[in-house]
Amino acid sequence: MPARRMTFVEALVEGIREEMRRDPNVFVLGQDIGPFGGSLRSTLGLWEEFGPARIFDTPISESAAAGLCIGAALEGLRPILDISFGEFLPSAMPQLVLHAPVVHWLTLGKARVPLTIRTKVGEGPYGGHPQCFEAWFTHVPGLKVVMPSTPADAKGLMKSAIRDDDPVLFFEHMYLYHGVRDVVPDGEHLVPIGRADVKRPGKDVTVAATAWMVHRALQAAHQFAAEGVEVEVLDLRTLAPLDVAGLLASVRRTGRLVVAHEAWKIGGLGAEVAATVAEQGFGYLKAPVVRVGAPHAPVPAHPTIRRAFLPDAQDVTDAVRAVLKYSA
Amino acid sequence: MIEDPKTAVAMHRWMVLSRVLDEACCQESAHWFPSRGEEAVPVGTFYGLRPDDVCAPGYRGSPIVFVMRGVRLEQVWAGALGKRTSFGRGRHFSFTAPIELRVLPYIAGDLGPIISQATGTAFAQKYRKSDAVTAVSFGDGTSNRGDFHEAVNLGGAWRLPIVYVIQNNHWAISMPIERATAAKRLADRAAGYGIPGVAVDGNDVLAVHAAVQEAVRRARAGHGPTLIEAETFRMRGHIAADTASYRSAAQVEEWQGRDPIRRLEERLLAAGVLSAEEAQAVWAEAAQEVGEAKAAAQRHPDILPTDLGLDEIFSTPLGGA
Repeated sequence: MPARRMTFVEALVEGIREEMRRDPNVFVLGQDIGPFGGSLRSTLGLWEEFGPARIFDTPISESAAAGLCIGAALEGLRPILDISFGEFLPSAMPQLVLHAPVVHWLTLGKARVPLTIRTKVGEGPYGGHPQCFEAWFTHVPGLKVVMPSTPADAKGLMKSAIRDDDPVLFFEHMYLYHGVRDVVPDGEHLVPIGRADVKRPGKDVTVAATAWMVHRALQAAHQFAAEGVEVEVLDLRTLAPLDVAGLLASVRRTGRLVVAHEAWKIGGLGAEVAATVAEQGFGYLKAPVVRVGAPHAPVPAHPTIRRAFLPDAQDVTDAVRAVLKYSA
Repeated sequence: MIEDPKTAVAMHRWMVLSRVLDEACCQESAHWFPSRGEEAVPVGTFYGLRPDDVCAPGYRGSPIVFVMRGVRLEQVWAGALGKRTSFGRGRHFSFTAPIELRVLPYIAGDLGPIISQATGTAFAQKYRKSDAVTAVSFGDGTSNRGDFHEAVNLGGAWRLPIVYVIQNNHWAISMPIERATAAKRLADRAAGYGIPGVAVDGNDVLAVHAAVQEAVRRARAGHGPTLIEAETFRMRGHIAADTASYRSAAQVEEWQGRDPIRRLEERLLAAGVLSAEEAQAVWAEAAQEVGEAKAAAQRHPDILPTDLGLDEIFSTPLGGA
């Protein structure tokens, strides 16, 4: 398949553009997504191609926008809701956790909510709005939650999310937005929702990670290779439903597990991953599972304390060393 | 003088059926939300809409709207009695109707989100360039939520084909509207959104219907939303088991004299549209229909443990697309 190099956000926009060309029922709404081009250029170029008939700038009303999407979806449209930043998701919580996820089940499958909600989280070039709330949504039955780490997955998962008949929450990491450029297949490139991906194979330790932490895990894995330690980097990609089979298969190969995400460690996705492996893959483990995540503190603003707060490649390295101490 | 006797007679019949059904359901379930005294609002609002229009009735009094849209009484009873044949198959209380009838379900137990969702069906109607409209009703209590403000503001900004109806029954469980807001008229809130606000006697079904139909005409013509406040009164407690001891008997008595069904009957009799015998027959028929439907629904199968439906949460299985 022919491919081009592009940034993470360019890949996201390409996925949206292709789906909008393919299906007239797909439209985008959100704040500053029209002529402004989206915060951090999240929708750059869509207004020029599709205009006011398909691209809708909303007032600062996240809850109404989310509810409007549910209503539009019940009438057969396929909305893409651009919630500028994950920090604004709490404003739309009733629609996102009480309403959208239960419609299919409640109506015995007669009604569906094919809604894609995209939002930006994590450390970014400007440092604003960094909080990572993705774990909340994995607790809610009926929501699919994805969080890619590469431009190719960003495009492929975006296309799958838009075609999916269920509500999908799509977390886009702000550091990756313009900070990662890579090869993206042209055209019909679909990444299935619900499948993790081995970004680097290894036999000694699995690091299951999300978003930017995947890149940090790859960095750590590269360093360990010089010491003769093979770290497998498993990109979870879909947080709900979790790819349990893919996770167990990796731990079965390596016998050791580190889980790394930028969100708070306590109550984070890492807890669910660790518990799942403890319940279903205990026999594979040669060492306790170690989690890497942010300390249980509010996210600070100043770069100095922000750096102290954020988990980094060194934290992953330390965690890998901790689980390597245990031999079979 | 009654302008459209046929419509008036039809709405009379629906209001009587609503009253009889509601009283029977209250006897069946202590947690039923009684609608006695408020029938003119759901009936007047949702009567006469087209099949492609979307109805989003507030939960109090919504079953009659389901029946007006084509749901059989027996199906309403299946919901009230918790039978397997109910639309939600036990996954939901009975305030939901088949989506194909274009009635928005009450998805969750919180109030307000349906106003945005109805704004969304109106958005879809405009997106598709159809002249269909959406009508949504909700209580005075719900109109104090941020959902109301965001949704009506957005509907106004985008001139969406929707009619917002506040069913002001004066009470949000135990909170009287006078203590919940300093606004004298809830219809006045429309000015803040740049749309027309209309206050109407919510115990006069003909007035409610006329106001809603005028708003529907505006919406169909592309002139955007209207906010209608229909002032009525919750004659019973919040739920059937609620004795409403927190309010004065005098207030209830005052509203007893404005009963919407009796008021319409008196007008129909005075205008010679309906005879006393015919009016009596409407009540008798309603009682018979409701009784027969209940008896039939009682024979329906019960919910099974497997109806939990763990494999029906997602429409596409894991691994999707």
